[in-house]
Amino acid sequence: MSRAKLQRLGINLPLFPTTSVGSFPKPDFLMKARGEFAKKLISRAELEKAERQATEFWICKQEELGVDVLVDGEMYRGDMVAYFADNLEGFEIGGLVRSYGNRYYHKPIITGEVRWKGPITVDWWKYAQSLTRKPVKGMLTGPYTVMDWSFIESYPDRRAATLPLAREIRKEVEALIQAGAKIIQIDEPAVSVRPEELPVAIEAMHVVTDGLPAYFITHICYGAFEHIYPDMLNLPVDNFDLEMSNSGLDMLALFQKQRYTKDISFGVVDVHTHLVEAEPVVEQRLRQALETLPKEAIWVDPDCGLKTRTVDEAIAKMQALVRAAQALRTVTSDQ
Amino acid sequence: MELLLANHSSYPRIGDDADQQLLRRTITQRDKGEKNDADVRAAEAHLTELALAEQSAAGLQVVTDGLIRWYDPISHLTGKLAGVRINGLLRFFDTNCYFRQPVVHAKPQRGEPLLVEEFTFAKAHSSRPVKVVLTGPYTLARHSVEEKGGAGGFAKVLEAFTAALAEEVAALAAAGADLIQVEEPSLLKQPEDYPAVEQNLAALAARKGSAQLALAVYFGDPAPLYDKLQTLPVDLLVLDFTYSPSLVETVATRGTAKTLGLGLVDGRNTRLEDASGVARQLEKIAKARNPGRAYLNPSCGLEYLPRDRAQLKLHHLAAIQRVFLGRAA
Repeated sequence: MSRAKLQRLGINLPLFPTTSVGSFPKPDFLMKARGEFAKKLISRAELEKAERQATEFWICKQEELGVDVLVDGEMYRGDMVAYFADNLEGFEIGGLVRSYGNRYYHKPIITGEVRWKGPITVDWWKYAQSLTRKPVKGMLTGPYTVMDWSFIESYPDRRAATLPLAREIRKEVEALIQAGAKIIQIDEPAVSVRPEELPVAIEAMHVVTDGLPAYFITHICYGAFEHIYPDMLNLPVDNFDLEMSNSGLDMLALFQKQRYTKDISFGVVDVHTHLVEAEPVVEQRLRQALETLPKEAIWVDPDCGLKTRTVDEAIAKMQALVRAAQALRTVTSDQ
Repeated sequence: MELLLANHSSYPRIGDDADQQLLRRTITQRDKGEKNDADVRAAEAHLTELALAEQSAAGLQVVTDGLIRWYDPISHLTGKLAGVRINGLLRFFDTNCYFRQPVVHAKPQRGEPLLVEEFTFAKAHSSRPVKVVLTGPYTLARHSVEEKGGAGGFAKVLEAFTAALAEEVAALAAAGADLIQVEEPSLLKQPEDYPAVEQNLAALAARKGSAQLALAVYFGDPAPLYDKLQTLPVDLLVLDFTYSPSLVETVATRGTAKTLGLGLVDGRNTRLEDASGVARQLEKIAKARNPGRAYLNPSCGLEYLPRDRAQLKLHHLAAIQRVFLGRAA
């Protein structure tokens, strides 16, 4: 358990801390502003004003809902890789490719030597943290995922592209820590995809996190966990943020075979359905988690970023999980 | 060796200009209630025509409809079968594309044609021969999940998918399809299931009539299976060379009893291959026993690339062909 580490960092959290994976849907006024900016109808400063307003909206909303560890909601990002590619040297932003259904993203192309030009997310983290007394997570995309979700033209192979990315992303982590961030999430959703490359992801994560004074979370989702578990526990982080509900909590069976040894941010609501889970459904999922995992290790959050839901759906899903966690907290705190 | 150019399977259904974004826009509008299903079908038809035209313009001798209408390689076929419902998203192999997982709750059965209408549309709108692409029964079964007691276990699900696709192969052949490509990327992940794939392909081959049947394998190294693949009841083998350091050498030394689709151009990365290097690989293969006719194609579907890069890859096929032919001359 890493509660002792959190306490050393000055963070005291209740049982079943609630959080979210990172992204929230952009409110209509921000979508409108992004559209106008793309058409050059408004300035960068005007867009940023809308992004700050949207960030404030989500910080307030998380406070209202009673979330314990907050996120800035990523109002300033298009997607989780292109945003970083756009802010590092060595990338070009490619055309649209499909993710699923009618969802597309701009897939970056690594065309040169990657290099950190300066803080990318730090000002946004500072702004979000200035709006609340609760801890706000620093949010980054990990080097393995940035590599995997980019086309590689300027490095001979995938490992050769991943390690320089890790060195540069570490600089962003150091900048976040210097700014005061104590909980930092390094998203690595691609890690579950090529089991044979897990050692590369682990090597890269060591480069990013080794020796740094923060509580590290990594988010992994929608992959073949049966092929990377338990080896994935060698990723040097404190907490795995995992999509559990979309896959029917089937990872619990893996945990029963091989003990799970870290903290977990347990995905209790599915982000790919408009249906908002009823509070008892969420609570039941948590009770199932408790059959296998120690209560001190469990954080509660959605399966993945909520940006594909509507604002109302995202709020309702967060409300369901916060209420379920609070209810269970009351029941289990004396046990 | 006669070298022709072919597309592999999928093609981007979006691009940077407004016309190329028609389908995305129309689906979004349909979801908001501003357009209807007929509008989406019209947009799909338009994007299919664009895909066909771009393949022809690149000089390909064999084109596909680009699989523009497919939500993904799995649910597009299984979702039309009785006994199957479509569930949540899962990643498709090691790509960053997701498919909707089929849930088999009763014996899967084909009640209506799956691809015939799409093929006849493409054929009517193409000046070049159109290859029909369908995901194979083994790959469909491997990406499905069975509800308790749904169909009697994996073998029964596979058998039912095979029966459904055999009917589809027959219908496609009757509709005038000359070349039908069955895609079995899952075979390279689980080569121990080769006997099952062989049996399924025999069932499809029995219904192909005068059409040629191709097997495409990708997202893995086919070299260890190469000799076995040569004995399969198919006319063409479409192989992914990008995962294999030894496949060119394997083909060169073993020769081939089948027409080959040579996936020497990476369909998943934007980097353009050195044309001379690929031409040298082709020369090696051309010296193999019995090379006959071969197709140069991307290693997999081009949907993983942005449209402008997919176009460049197709034009690059033609550039490689010119270098190869220049050397041969």
